[in-house]
Amino acid sequence: MSLKEFLQGAWLGHPIHTALVHIPTALWPAALVFDVLTVLGIGGNPMVRTSYYCILAGLVVSLLAVPTGLADWWDIKPEKPARKLGLYHLGLNVVIVVIEAVNLYLRLGDELEATAVGATPLLLSVLAVGLLLVAGYLGGRMVYHYGTSVARLSKDKWRRMAEAGGANVPEEKS
Amino acid sequence: MIKALLQGKPFGHPLHPLLVHLPIGLFILSLLLDLGTLLFDGGNDLVRGAFYTMLFGVIMALVAAVPGLVDRADIREDHPARPTANTHLVLNLTAVGLYGVSLVLRYLDLDAEATGLIAFLLSLVGAAILSYSGYLGGTMVYGDGIAVGRHRRKSETPGLTIRVGPAEVRSGYAPVAEVGRLPEGATLRAEVNGQVMTIANVGGDYYAFQEFCTHRFGPLSEGHFEDHQIMCPWHGSCFDVRSGKVTQGPAKVDLKTYPVMVEAGWVCVGDGE
Repeated sequence: MSLKEFLQGAWLGHPIHTALVHIPTALWPAALVFDVLTVLGIGGNPMVRTSYYCILAGLVVSLLAVPTGLADWWDIKPEKPARKLGLYHLGLNVVIVVIEAVNLYLRLGDELEATAVGATPLLLSVLAVGLLLVAGYLGGRMVYHYGTSVARLSKDKWRRMAEAGGANVPEEKS
Repeated sequence: MIKALLQGKPFGHPLHPLLVHLPIGLFILSLLLDLGTLLFDGGNDLVRGAFYTMLFGVIMALVAAVPGLVDRADIREDHPARPTANTHLVLNLTAVGLYGVSLVLRYLDLDAEATGLIAFLLSLVGAAILSYSGYLGGTMVYGDGIAVGRHRRKSETPGLTIRVGPAEVRSGYAPVAEVGRLPEGATLRAEVNGQVMTIANVGGDYYAFQEFCTHRFGPLSEGHFEDHQIMCPWHGSCFDVRSGKVTQGPAKVDLKTYPVMVEAGWVCVGDGE
């Protein structure tokens, strides 16, 4: 198994990138919700810290999502629309990761002792989540509209079913 | 209309796999915060953080369940992913139940310095169940193509495969369904003498061709029509339903087609032999 196949999840029978991205996709919007609650005076410092942990855990996992995502993108043929979509998805996600890294940095020190999140970190959370919705939607379109990574690891199973059902099938690549 | 909305058709993307990002990420973070309270002297902050995170996760899990149930109901009864969907459903309900109990225990002890052992163990078991269940959900999409390309389809997809054995074949033709079951734009999925096929009504004429796309073998009975072309829901390969010829890749091999005729109000197909 090559490194590319490993990163694509050939050992698991399931792409890894799309599983990992659940973590930042959940935690960054959650951080924004917690930020808003602190501004409304709910939760106090524990809520400020919870938001901080959300951003931190999301960042750690998002760094793992990059190589696995690139491996999936690698196999999309250059002339396919999903290839370009993948590039936009990648570019947006890099911007989001940078925003969240700055966001995390601004929350260190005194800010971490506060009972409400400051205006700049709050705005960065809003911006990051806004871009994340677009980037995530593009990722979803790659799978559900263009079929990226769909039946890549299961095509032999489906080939056998097609053959059993009397279908014309292409010759198997050796 | 509500069904199409819950399936995410207007967004070009199913809703369930989008919404589940939230509970999955939140439940895992909640578990990490629990570990934080047990390993470090994080005090009450982390205990409350784990509680808020889990509460938000349970709310979003219940929201995600609604489109999930709609997606499950739309999987063909004899599809190999149907049992997977049932297991996925039962495991998710179990996990949310465990999280619900864990939440109540946490609420009763919200001022503690560390998460209680039972509340923590429930979260741990919940995360294990959810990881496996999430994996099953992923195999339904990436292995079996559930909900892939579904938003392009205008009519209902076939609910089951109509099976016709050799005993019912008369002079080379097998009656599959009464014409009333195949209105314009609809498809049937049939297995006639072991040949699995899509039977379609395109512009009032009936056509039969192999069910499996020749690229990665996607289900053409769930495809989308444009004039006399059927588009595979998975990767967009197109075929002319009249000749079976490829009109757009990635598929390179033409479909096998079968003769169709209507007799005494029944759609009958030749078994290709």
